[in-house]
Amino acid sequence: MPKVKVNDVELEVPAGTNMIEAAKLAGVEIPHYCYHPHLSVAGNCRMCMCETDTPRGPMLEIACNMQARDGLVIRTETDNVKAVRKSVMEFLLVNHPLDCPICDQSGECRLQDYYMDHGKYDSRGNEAKVGKHKRQDIGEHIMLDAERCVQCSRCVRFGDEITHTGDLALMNRGDHTEIGMFPGMRLEHDYQGNLADICPVGALTSKDFRFQRRVWYLRETASVCTGCATGCNIQVCHQEGEVFRYTPRRNDDVNQSWMCDPGRDRHVAIGSLSRVLRATVDGAPSADAIPELARRIRAAGAGRVGFVLGTQASLEANWAMLQLVRANCPDAKVFWVAGADADAIAKSDTFLMDADKNANTAGVKLLAEWAGNVGDAAALRAADLALLVVLEDDVVSRVGEVLAPALAYLGTQHNPTTAAAAIVVPVAHVVEMDATYLNRQGRVQRARRATNPLGEAVPAYQALDALGAALGRAPGTRMPVATFLAMARVIPRLAGLDYRGLGTNGKLIAPATPAAAEAK
Amino acid sequence: MALPKPNKKLTGSESSYLVEVIKGMVITLGHVVKNIFDQDRFRTIEYPDVRKPMTPRYRGAHRLLLRPDGGIKCVACMCCPTVCPARCITIVAGENPNDPAEKFPVSFDIDMLRCIYCGFCVEACPKDAIRMDTKIYEINAYNRQDMVHSKPYMINLMDRLKPEASEAYRADHTTAPAGHTPDEAPVAGGHLG
Ligand code: SF4
Ligand code: SF4
Ligand code: SF4
Ligand code: SF4
Ligand code: FES
Repeated sequence: MPKVKVNDVELEVPAGTNMIEAAKLAGVEIPHYCYHPHLSVAGNCRMCMCETDTPRGPMLEIACNMQARDGLVIRTETDNVKAVRKSVMEFLLVNHPLDCPICDQSGECRLQDYYMDHGKYDSRGNEAKVGKHKRQDIGEHIMLDAERCVQCSRCVRFGDEITHTGDLALMNRGDHTEIGMFPGMRLEHDYQGNLADICPVGALTSKDFRFQRRVWYLRETASVCTGCATGCNIQVCHQEGEVFRYTPRRNDDVNQSWMCDPGRDRHVAIGSLSRVLRATVDGAPSADAIPELARRIRAAGAGRVGFVLGTQASLEANWAMLQLVRANCPDAKVFWVAGADADAIAKSDTFLMDADKNANTAGVKLLAEWAGNVGDAAALRAADLALLVVLEDDVVSRVGEVLAPALAYLGTQHNPTTAAAAIVVPVAHVVEMDATYLNRQGRVQRARRATNPLGEAVPAYQALDALGAALGRAPGTRMPVATFLAMARVIPRLAGLDYRGLGTNGKLIAPATPAAAEAK
Repeated sequence: MALPKPNKKLTGSESSYLVEVIKGMVITLGHVVKNIFDQDRFRTIEYPDVRKPMTPRYRGAHRLLLRPDGGIKCVACMCCPTVCPARCITIVAGENPNDPAEKFPVSFDIDMLRCIYCGFCVEACPKDAIRMDTKIYEINAYNRQDMVHSKPYMINLMDRLKPEASEAYRADHTTAPAGHTPDEAPVAGGHLG
């Protein structure tokens, strides 16, 4: 591995590492606009200029296009470098509108940040600024303000390299260069939100988040998207218990820096009218839904009670259900129902959007494989049941019929299953609890609690713990950390894992053993 | 925490107190005599018929300014709610499709019960959209809700400052009229719209 020197720090980095990344490893932040770790290098903003030693003496070069090689020395804080950064800022802002008060990027804008860190010159602009097209609606999710653009071409490269739609382009020359859509085109892909994220300034902004909240009010909590089996890593941006947006969180092994638009939209459901907020028994609000459910389970007799694991529920919740059955009614039957319908398959691709719109199908498979004796949809249809307890999945829509004389449902949203259920228990949304999910790669990933559960909701593993207690033996799943540890202790494929070990990027677990796969 | 003891020893005459009391009385009576002969020295202002002129920098009730074309100057940038130490400004931003300013405050409320009249909001505003130069200091109402000044109220406050409006404004602002109910609260403290 080549040894490079950044300021006074010597370090070894993998060959070919770009010097912006190498400097980051050395703890030095090199300002940049056009460089993006998941796009090609364009080298057009010149903000990343650093001093390096050449045979002709110290010279300025752009760090984004410099690759680590043995003996490479860069200096990022010399007077020369500082002067260049200041001039670059001055050029970038020559025609920049004074839009910060109405610009949604304000607060996370690289022009603002770098001006304060590296600019701070006195304006010499006496001429009128070059005006460009403002407030252009270029797609379902994106607004374009060409005046604010710094011509970094990130969005153009995104269209060329990631979505392969080639819809944005820089047109004209000199200070009349303007970002825009090819005539007659609109953004048509499902990854538009990423444009607002990668645009380092306020030229491309999100329509969904437009004027909703100033970003400096928002707190960010690292979580995962539960919109499909991919499990893109996200930040949940929230303020005072209200979630305003999801943004992708970098994880090179899962979603790089991206996420899809349907995933972004999912936060809308958290506080929507479709949310289940109150426990009901036979349609009437009830404070005793869980004891009542326990009573009905006992009345039905263990042999005629079924439990359906949730492919949308967390590992902890599914584990809680298995443990509850094991401790209280070992004769009860356990099922799981895969969910992938025609619409979902239409809304899928080979990049991030999986046809399986359930975050934890792999997790349910893992637990079912470990527990054994878990029936599928066909078994569920064939079973003779008096009562069916359903965890989060909309089983009625999936199977196409109401399967038992009585249904009990623990879930977050109203759907055909809640409509058919005699007992409905509200449970926490993924942003309202600590939990883990197993994605399609077999990566265990953590979601963290960002806000408090709405209404009467509690995390599903706690609701099931209470149900177990009402039946006589609580499965001991109140605390997610301990619940995960309990799972990791007995399930070989999770051995050695704990919440801390999962870190921010999750951990791949061992693949299913061939023997287990054959037994299925 | 124990307070430090004053270490100054009282002199003999001080410790008897009587001498000091008489000294104080002499000063007071001196002022009484002076004031009797020079009555300009103590001006009792016959408030509310007469009002004290406020200094130009006096921070009174907030007003929201309009542009020459009649649109509101505020663009809901959220600088003032951000800087407000009392957290008493609540703005809901919206988009105005017909205005090049794009963004405007759909609602703009200041809870005057929480405001500490620091003037930071005025300092922070990049649009000179909010000012406290109204010199209005009687900020009162019959209920808490009316102490929340709304956008229409704060815009109309400007009209009251126009010379032709000031007489009427003063007339009805000097004291609460008889039979004044919160619903028709016409002046400082009520929602006008
Ligand atoms: S892009 Fe940045 S500098 Fe430009 S108006 Fe928006 S926030 Fe301000
Ligand atoms: S719109 Fe944004 S991402 Fe695209 S070139 Fe301009 S500044 Fe860069
Ligand atoms: S004067 Fe001070 S406390 Fe009152 S609204 Fe303005 S910033 Fe807030
Ligand atoms: S600082 Fe000025 S422009 Fe910004 S929200 Fe407050 S009053 Fe409106
Ligand atoms: S980041 Fe290197 S030139 Fe733009």
